[in-house]
Amino acid sequence: MARARGTDGSLLASLPWTLLALAFALLPHVPYLPVWITAALLACAIWRYSIEVRRKPVPPALLRAALALACFMGVLYTYNTISGVGPGSALLAIMAALKLLETRQRRDQFVLLFIAIFLVMSSLLREQYLWSLPYLVLGVILIMTAWLRTAADDAEPVRRSLGTSSRLVLYAAPLALAMWVFFPRIATPFWAVPIDTGTAVSGLSSTISPGDISALSKSDAVAFRVNFEGAVPEPRARYWRGLVLHRFDGRTWSGISEPRISSTALKNIEALGEPVRYRVTMEPTRQHWVFALDIPYEWNLESTFLGPQHQLTRVQPIDQRIAYEAVSHADYRIDAEPYSFRRGAYLEFPEGRNPRTATLARSMRAAARSDAAFVRAVLTKFNEEEYHYTLEPPPLGSNPVDRFLFETRRGFCEHYASAFALMMRAAGIPARIVLGYQGGELNPVGDYMIVRQADAHAWTEVWLPGAGWRRVDPTAAVAPERVDAGRTGAMFDGSGAAWGLGAPSMLLHNLVLAWDAANAKWNEWILGYGPENQERFMNWLGMDDPDWRQMLLTLIVVVTGLTVLISAALLLRYRPPRRDRAAILYDKFIRKSGLTPATGETPQLFAGRVRRESALPASAVDSITDTYLDVRYGPPDPALLQRLEAAVTSL
Amino acid sequence: MSSIRWLSPSRLLPGINRAASRRVRLWARRRQGVDGPVTRLEPRRIYILPTGVGLIFALMTFAMLLGSMNYNNNLSFVLTFMLIGVGFVAMHQCQRNLVALEVSFAGVEPVFAGQSAQFRIAVANRSKSPRHRIRLYIDDAHSDTKDLEPGESRIFVLPVRTEQRGRITLERFGLRTLFPFELFRAWAWLHMYPRGIVYPHPAEHVPPPPASQTALGHRQHDARGEEDFAGLRKFHVGDSPRNVAWKAYARNDQLLSKQFAGADMSSQWFDFDTVAGDDLEQRLAILTRWVIDADRTQEDYGLRLPGQSFPPAHGEAHRRQCLEALALFGLENPDG
Repeated sequence: MARARGTDGSLLASLPWTLLALAFALLPHVPYLPVWITAALLACAIWRYSIEVRRKPVPPALLRAALALACFMGVLYTYNTISGVGPGSALLAIMAALKLLETRQRRDQFVLLFIAIFLVMSSLLREQYLWSLPYLVLGVILIMTAWLRTAADDAEPVRRSLGTSSRLVLYAAPLALAMWVFFPRIATPFWAVPIDTGTAVSGLSSTISPGDISALSKSDAVAFRVNFEGAVPEPRARYWRGLVLHRFDGRTWSGISEPRISSTALKNIEALGEPVRYRVTMEPTRQHWVFALDIPYEWNLESTFLGPQHQLTRVQPIDQRIAYEAVSHADYRIDAEPYSFRRGAYLEFPEGRNPRTATLARSMRAAARSDAAFVRAVLTKFNEEEYHYTLEPPPLGSNPVDRFLFETRRGFCEHYASAFALMMRAAGIPARIVLGYQGGELNPVGDYMIVRQADAHAWTEVWLPGAGWRRVDPTAAVAPERVDAGRTGAMFDGSGAAWGLGAPSMLLHNLVLAWDAANAKWNEWILGYGPENQERFMNWLGMDDPDWRQMLLTLIVVVTGLTVLISAALLLRYRPPRRDRAAILYDKFIRKSGLTPATGETPQLFAGRVRRESALPASAVDSITDTYLDVRYGPPDPALLQRLEAAVTSL
Repeated sequence: MSSIRWLSPSRLLPGINRAASRRVRLWARRRQGVDGPVTRLEPRRIYILPTGVGLIFALMTFAMLLGSMNYNNNLSFVLTFMLIGVGFVAMHQCQRNLVALEVSFAGVEPVFAGQSAQFRIAVANRSKSPRHRIRLYIDDAHSDTKDLEPGESRIFVLPVRTEQRGRITLERFGLRTLFPFELFRAWAWLHMYPRGIVYPHPAEHVPPPPASQTALGHRQHDARGEEDFAGLRKFHVGDSPRNVAWKAYARNDQLLSKQFAGADMSSQWFDFDTVAGDDLEQRLAILTRWVIDADRTQEDYGLRLPGQSFPPAHGEAHRRQCLEALALFGLENPDG
């Protein structure tokens, strides 16, 4: 294999650029990669560069093979797999590090640059922000600059390589745009490879345990965005239904662990009143829950169904941003018939836990005339007695509901929903907890609603004879502002201060809203440019319902046209200077004279020879020669050129 | 060599490639005709094909396209189409990099058989944009790779192996570029037939030239010193300017050198007929060696070949004349 021969320093002009391109491509991966991989690549880069500077030989093959094996085992150990974006980009980084160590010739750097391109691509699979576009353009320019420098003259200034590659990328931009617009998009993937990004996505947890560490999300991350068709529902009607919890072990509420689909759920909904139509763009959660206004009645998302507890569920987890249109009814009656569900499941009350709550509930039920009156009585208790809404409640012990109801008396939605549901069950009323979002902020920029993770909410449903499952939000009894103004509204009108929410600067908030609007448009038009958007755009262009063949044809025509233009622009750049008019006229004169000027013969000497040897009139020959010399070497004068033209043509 | 080069089609199919490329060249030669002394490269005579790197690049972008389609990821579509676009632009840029260059022959120094003749080809860039990474090549050799600034003209040297004395003609050479990204290789073939001369290979171990051939039948050994003026002689390149008869030059415009009796005036004749041996090439080789050695010692020498005679003299021009005569001696068609 390799003889221990020093490097010759021929990589010094290109290696720094290759390393820069690699570093730039690796940058978005750094937060997701194990530290040792970034460190390994960095170390190999420094090592290889110093080898080149000091003309040392590259490390021997045996050492490189050992390193490769160690790194591969490291990746396997870290991820337990080698498929997916996370392990894939880790492997790419490792390959780059090892390839660096065996790079001897300039051309070997191509492999490194190919790896850089794949690293950029895998970072785009992981996340697509607004800045990802400038990032990838800059990445391409950097990689192509490094590419140029692998073959460039050592003396070539960096600015020039950068200029050349930028110019070529600029020429390529219209081609790329045309291909991007016209390339037919397909709805379904060829093979379903989950994009395992390896990071937690913020979202609702599938269980709640009031009294454990305060788990309420304070994240401003967007959960979903909504465009309403027609009037926007009132804040107190904005309950975005997610999942339903009905099991309680005395401490933790949980629901159906696997999403289940019910064939009867939709039938058991009796829609009353006007429908609300809207479009939701939901961020990935990697869960199955699809959020919709209470209660969803129609939706156009594939393989999505209502579960037995009327929770909207998609068969595949939502690991990419999705958009769907839905219709909901704010007034409804569900499961009005008592036999439509298993009543016992909603009356579970673990024996011996939270005994004081049970006693209180039973005595209150005995005092009330009906179930409905009992519900009102409990809500009144929350509203009138010393109960507080706070985002930072004290921890609760082993009987969390007892302790909350009788001792701490402060908490947020989970605490109130949990206590309320349990009291209902103690009194023999079926009850369950619904997790979802409540509220949402209207963004005046772009005119849509933002629902954030911090809007996450828990409320209850109780089953009353004749009315079916009714939504009851005990939090509204304690902190009506939370429901009426929404979390953001409460933050700004001052009522949120009591819950532990600080009011941010209004200016900053408006900037956040503007940025979010830009992101929403970006998501809709750039990232969401799928079959539907493409069809809409083609129709707008005047193509009536094109199929993929017509679109490919259009693509080819447009790209060919653009290529011809670019080719012509390049030809213009590289064409030789046009001969000036005077020289062309003088050539004509030479042809008419029938003689050929000898090498080094000046026009004056040639004129003498023409006078002697040709039949042309001597005066014309002299005047043409003099005018020609004046035009060529004198100040520019169009009149002279005309005279020359007249003289030559009149010969 | 890197693995990329091994993937190029010419490596995979050497036999077919050789036969095919010969036919293509013949076709190009018929199509283009013989080139003039200054040839401008028109777009229609510039050929272009993808390189091994280019094929890998195409494969990579195709894989990226499949990936983008599978994940329906619009930003990786952007990246993919951008790279495809760069490939398209690179193809045109590569071809344009050669367009309108002016190629002309800039001479070749004579060499001895066995040495390589350094054909000098001038390439001029008359356009307003720089040209990058241009290289001239023949079947088994190539020149350095150079850049040409706007308006710049540079000399490219093509080393051509020589085997026997006589005229040497460069039948065809190529001009190529891989710029910008080595994805494509653009080239042009030129048939200018530039010619050079190859001297016979000088013999290694030769007898000294026969002494009896000394001019005038004797050697001047009288030590009368340089002051003893012996006459005037026509000036030869290599004569000391001190010995030029400047007064005579002022009188009749003719450069003459003063000859002194004290100087070593030995002037030998190298006669083809007196060289022993039957082999023509061997005899020419011996004569060549004598000429070189005599030239090195600045002696006057004359050369007599059947039908040709070069009276004793010395200097660069004389040496060239003699060696050229030896190079072309006895060849059927020395100018063909």
